[in-house]
Amino acid sequence: MSHLENELQKLKSDALRMWKTVQTQLEKGKDALTNFDKDMAREIAAKEKRVNAYELKIDRDCENIFALFNPVAVDLRFVLAVLKINSNLERIGDIADGIARYVIDVDTRFSDELLKTTQVIEMFETANSIIQDAATAFENEDTKLARTIFKKDEKLDDINVNASYVIADFIKNHSDQVRESLHILSMIRKLERVGDQGKNIAEEIIFYIEAKVLKHRLEK
Amino acid sequence: MSANTILDFIDRIKITGLVMVDGKNIYEKGIRVDELRKQVGMVFQKPNPFPKSIYENVAFGLRVNGVKDKKVIDEKVEQSLVQAAIWDEVKDKLKKSAFELSGGQQQRLCIARALAIEPSMLLMDEPASALDPISTAKIEELIYELKKKYTIMIVTHNMQQAGRVSDYTAFFYMGELIEFDETKMMFTNPKNTRTQNYITGRFG
Repeated sequence: MSHLENELQKLKSDALRMWKTVQTQLEKGKDALTNFDKDMAREIAAKEKRVNAYELKIDRDCENIFALFNPVAVDLRFVLAVLKINSNLERIGDIADGIARYVIDVDTRFSDELLKTTQVIEMFETANSIIQDAATAFENEDTKLARTIFKKDEKLDDINVNASYVIADFIKNHSDQVRESLHILSMIRKLERVGDQGKNIAEEIIFYIEAKVLKHRLEK
Repeated sequence: MSANTILDFIDRIKITGLVMVDGKNIYEKGIRVDELRKQVGMVFQKPNPFPKSIYENVAFGLRVNGVKDKKVIDEKVEQSLVQAAIWDEVKDKLKKSAFELSGGQQQRLCIARALAIEPSMLLMDEPASALDPISTAKIEELIYELKKKYTIMIVTHNMQQAGRVSDYTAFFYMGELIEFDETKMMFTNPKNTRTQNYITGRFG
C-alpha cells in the first residue's frame, strides 16, 4: 500500500470510529428517553466533547492530505466527502446532545402514551437505522444501500409534518404534560434533522463513488 | 550556500555554523573522514553504478572496509538489495553488468550500495529527478519504507515530493535557511512569508 493509500485508509477508519460514537450517542438518547434515565442523558452530554474532538482531528487530517498529497480523481472526491460527512456527523452529535438535555430538564418521566402517540421512538429507530445504513454504505462503498436512505428520511419527514397537530391534540387532553409534550415536539424536530444529515451523507457517498452530484435534485 | 552544498559538508567545504552528526561536530579536530563516510551513505542525482556487476557494486563497500568472508558478503548483498526493493528483479542476474539495468533500477542499486555499509543516515541529492514517473514512485515508496530505519536527508526541487515523503522540511533560498518545520506545518501554515510565496507558486 502506498503512503497516500495508508493515509486514506486511516482517514476512513477515523471517520468510522466517529460514526460509531455518534450512533451510540443517539441510541443512548433513545434509551435515556424511554427509561427516563437522567444519568445516561448526562453521559451523552459529557461525551459530546469526544465527538467535537474527532471532528477537529478529521478536519486537520483532511487538510494535511490535501496539502501533502494533492489527491486527484476518486481520492480527491473521497477526502472532500469525508470533510463534509465529518461535519454532518458532528451535527448529529449535537442533536443527540440536545435531546439528552431535554431529558435532564424535566422532573417527571415522559408517559408511554405520549411517546406512543407522537411516534418519537419510531423516529429514533428510523434515525438510527439511517446512520447505520450510511456507515455500512460508506465502509463497503455501497451506493445502492446509500440510496435507500432517501426513502427512510421521508418517513421522518411525514412524522415531523404531523407532529404539531398530534402534540396540540395531546396537550388538549393532557394538560398536566404540557412541558413534556413540548420537549417531545422539539425532539421530533431534531430527529427530522438527523434524517436530513443522513440524506446529506448519502449524497456525499454517492458523489465520491460515482462522481454524481445529487444535491438539490428532486430525483435521487 | 545552496541546498545542494549542504550535502557537500562531508567533503569539508567551508560553511558557517555547526554540522552535527550523531552529536559530534564533524569539523572538530580528530574527526576521521573515512569513519564519517561510513556513517553517511550518499545517493546522487544521476544514478552512478560502478562499471562492475550488480553483485560487485553492492559488495564493493564491504570489501573496502575489510570484509573478506564470502558468506557474509553474500548475505549483506542480498539484504541490501532486498532493502532497496530490487532483489526480486536482479537475484537471477547478479553477475550481469549494472549498466544493463534501467535508470530506476540503477538508482535502487545505488541505494543498495549505500545501505550495504550500514550507515546511520542517507543523503540523497534529487534521487528521482532523472527518472520516469513510475521509477520515481518506486523510489519514493522506498524512501518511505527506509525512513523507518534510517535518517534520510533529501535535496529536492520537487515540492510535491517533499510533501509526500518527508517528516520535516527545510526551505533554503539563495543559500540561506529560511524555515524548518514539520512538513505538514510547512505545507499548511508556514511561518515565513517567503516560504508561503514559494510553496503557493507566487515565485519560483
